[in-house]
Amino acid sequence: MSRERALVDGDWLEARLGDPSVAILEVDERPLVYNVGHVPGAHCVDWRRDLQDPVTRDVPAPEAMRALWRRVGIGPETTVVLYGDMSNWYPCFALWLFKLNGLGDVRLLDGGRQAWLAERRPLTTEVPPPAERDDAPAPSRHAELRAHWPDVAGAAARGTQLLDVRTPAEYRGELLAEPGYPQELAQRPGHVPGALNVSWDACVAPDGRVRSDDELRALLAERGVRLDAPAITYCRIGERSAHTWFVLHELLDLPDVRNYDGSWTEWGSMVGMPVALGPEPGAPLDAATLPALAPSR
Amino acid sequence: MPTPAPEPAEPAAAAATLSGVRAELRRVRAGLARVEEGLAALEREQASPRPRAQERARPERYLRLLVDVYERGGRPGLDSGAFGALGAEHGYDRRGLGGFFRGDRAPLALADGRVQLTPEGGRLVDAYLRELSR
Repeated sequence: MSRERALVDGDWLEARLGDPSVAILEVDERPLVYNVGHVPGAHCVDWRRDLQDPVTRDVPAPEAMRALWRRVGIGPETTVVLYGDMSNWYPCFALWLFKLNGLGDVRLLDGGRQAWLAERRPLTTEVPPPAERDDAPAPSRHAELRAHWPDVAGAAARGTQLLDVRTPAEYRGELLAEPGYPQELAQRPGHVPGALNVSWDACVAPDGRVRSDDELRALLAERGVRLDAPAITYCRIGERSAHTWFVLHELLDLPDVRNYDGSWTEWGSMVGMPVALGPEPGAPLDAATLPALAPSR
Repeated sequence: MPTPAPEPAEPAAAAATLSGVRAELRRVRAGLARVEEGLAALEREQASPRPRAQERARPERYLRLLVDVYERGGRPGLDSGAFGALGAEHGYDRRGLGGFFRGDRAPLALADGRVQLTPEGGRLVDAYLRELSR
């Protein structure tokens, strides 16, 4: 994947409004902002309703994924373009989820709502009807894109790089969550032993766009990230880490990058799980101190 | 048969002191009861949700500006120039914009020199978006 295939800009998208081979999906942290005005033809995807299982804490089941793709008009040859608020963190989660389920051509509108509005491009409040495409592809799991906690524990014990993309205060253990997210608290603050702190938003320019490849390489190297080694990203619930996953896997072409969507709300709540506090990564995890490991799925 | 011991005579001064202490105790107890009642009332008031009607109604332009800060600022937030320009679009001068940052329930705050919603600002935006979507 390269920047040209993974990111589109406003000109590219505006030239394809109404093109049936392009499905435009808006994914917001606050889905109601879609009603203020959205890209013409864009379907609203609600991350709470559409991008997680309604009962179990998990990604949607394959049949639910296919039902969503059917509703928003995704066929076998469709180019999917995602965009949203807050500099695209939930669109990146959707992109990771779609790739996890085997969808090939999924791209991000660089800068999301922020850039589209800044460029004064067309908006509408007209909601497109459900597409109900019968040829929506059947999801096929690409498990190599996802990490579960035993994978993270194994990585922490082996020294595989773990990237904690939360704010420094969350990483140090001074905060369980940023103010305004009281529903996303773990039982313990801190970070996975050995994890590096690389805030996801370091990769975002003030205009909401992803920084250039050269800037990304420089700022990640400066923070100790090895761009020639496997990595697992995590945050609090897996959406900010999907942005960093996007940067590493889709833009910078690291072949082995996984998103740990259980993230801190899972790790920081497990009985007996080691936790590191303070600004340093801490010693690698001693496998002997782990609670009984569940088999990696 | 032994003769019962006579009741000890209470000196007049001691009786007066005792009755004075008892009266003082009654006053203290009554005062304590009033304090307890007041405290219980305050606790009841604190525990019950604040009625929405008591919340100050915000003008439309006030809420639109908060939505604009949210949408146009993205994760980094707006720089002061962009915020000033947005405020002017909504009819706010520099002094009027300062009001968005004042008080313990201010809807906006500066983080690393950029304007962002506070949790209170986020709550106001959510309420406004719900209202718009009805």
